[in-house]
Amino acid sequence: MTYEEFADARLGALLRYAVMLTGDPHQAQDLVQETMVRVQLNWRRVARSDVPERYVRRMLTNQYVDWRRGSWARRVLLRAEPDDLPAPADHAQSAVDRDQVWSWLSRLPRRQRATLVLRYYEDLPDAEIAEILGCAVGTVRSCISRALATLRAEYVEVCS
Amino acid sequence: MIEDDLRAAFARHEALTPPTGPVRTAIDRAVVRRRRRRLRLRLAGTALAVVAAALAGFTAIAPRQPAPAIPLGEPPPPTPTGALNVLLLGVDGYEGRQYRLADSALLVHVPADRSRLYLVSLPRYLEVSVPGHGADKLNYAFLQGAGEPRPDLSRGYRVTRDAVADTLGVRIDAGAVLTYPLVRKLTDAVGGVEVCLPQRVRSVHTDRVFPAGCQRLDGTDSVDLLRQRVGLPDGVLDRDRNAERYAAGLLRRLQERDTFTNPLVVNSLLQHLSSGLVVDAGASSLPALALVAAQAATAEPVGLLPPGVHVEKPDLRFRLDPALGPGFLDALRTDRLGEWASAHPGQATTLR
Repeated sequence: MTYEEFADARLGALLRYAVMLTGDPHQAQDLVQETMVRVQLNWRRVARSDVPERYVRRMLTNQYVDWRRGSWARRVLLRAEPDDLPAPADHAQSAVDRDQVWSWLSRLPRRQRATLVLRYYEDLPDAEIAEILGCAVGTVRSCISRALATLRAEYVEVCS
Repeated sequence: MIEDDLRAAFARHEALTPPTGPVRTAIDRAVVRRRRRRLRLRLAGTALAVVAAALAGFTAIAPRQPAPAIPLGEPPPPTPTGALNVLLLGVDGYEGRQYRLADSALLVHVPADRSRLYLVSLPRYLEVSVPGHGADKLNYAFLQGAGEPRPDLSRGYRVTRDAVADTLGVRIDAGAVLTYPLVRKLTDAVGGVEVCLPQRVRSVHTDRVFPAGCQRLDGTDSVDLLRQRVGLPDGVLDRDRNAERYAAGLLRRLQERDTFTNPLVVNSLLQHLSSGLVVDAGASSLPALALVAAQAATAEPVGLLPPGVHVEKPDLRFRLDPALGPGFLDALRTDRLGEWASAHPGQATTLR
């Protein structure tokens, strides 16, 4: 497979994945761009791996988890944009607005958020998630349960 | 259930995904930038190597395509008439290096009467106007054309040819790019070349000493001599003069062996050299050019250095002398170099 074929086939999926990780289209674009530049420069090594897509997803995930503070400034700024804020009236009437879940995600540690995206968006089995994150399967499970526990706590707070 | 809400939230936000087209373009652009930066770093890191390479003069003739074998029995292509200018570029470097510079340039002028050959050295820092790039040094014109990291000698030749033609205001009818291996092979194929030096030259590369006077050199020694400029009184200009001396010796040798006039010998020589040879025969053909050269090479050639001045800024460059330059160019364009050379004996090189 050439880099061009790979990009033709997988760039859209990687962008969607990056949106779920970062919660923001601009940051998703930066993340994918940075990763794909490295992919293209080192394409021979990427192509040698068994499943290039998993290799690239792993690169992208690591990049996201390790992203340094610099991007936090932008992230905070973007959070202030109106369309990212949940409408204040919503959660008064119903149990929980879905966008509320979305905004809670941003408070999770990145690694935890990544496990949630990989399981509930990409629907990957734990073994594969473990491979992408470079950790044990048990770590994946505890990561997910801790993340879910945090979200449940938010639920309780809002609904009580 | 929180899991379902999560799935729903993810699905809802798929709409945020940016379109792939612009991202793809941005990636490709960033890759180009990153590659360039890598290359610059690599170049900086090998600055010493570059300096060493700059000492190396002659590189090679790069033909547009492998030299064609001449089918026997076919009528010879038409012999060109009128004055001809042939540009020979010696480039440095070796297989696998990422860039090449044309550090020796020799413009061979063949007058219309074919009375003799004029070997005009163009210093490597001669300021030329590179189409689309502005003023730059001659050896960089080649680099810009050949590109990196896989130098294309044919393109390097074409860009240099156009730049020289623009700058001097003459038509270049043919040319070639010579690399070290080619000069080595060519010299050995003709059984060595006699070079006559006015002063002793010591190689900074091999410590070999070339004494003053005439000596026959094999391929390896020829390349060694053609690379030397450090320690010579006029530096680059003296190296260029030695290239003229080598060219004169090579012509004598070809003449002695009837190489020009015997198509079989030309053929076998070209086949011997064909790998890596970049030759531009222009509207003519190599055998036809060989015949022309044969006619003109019966007399001793004249070596010339264009009248020039050194400019120190922005970097060391060689520009045509404002007083003498126009006369020289005019003589070159109107095929009166012989008159000009007799009027300016100081610009001539002693070839023997």
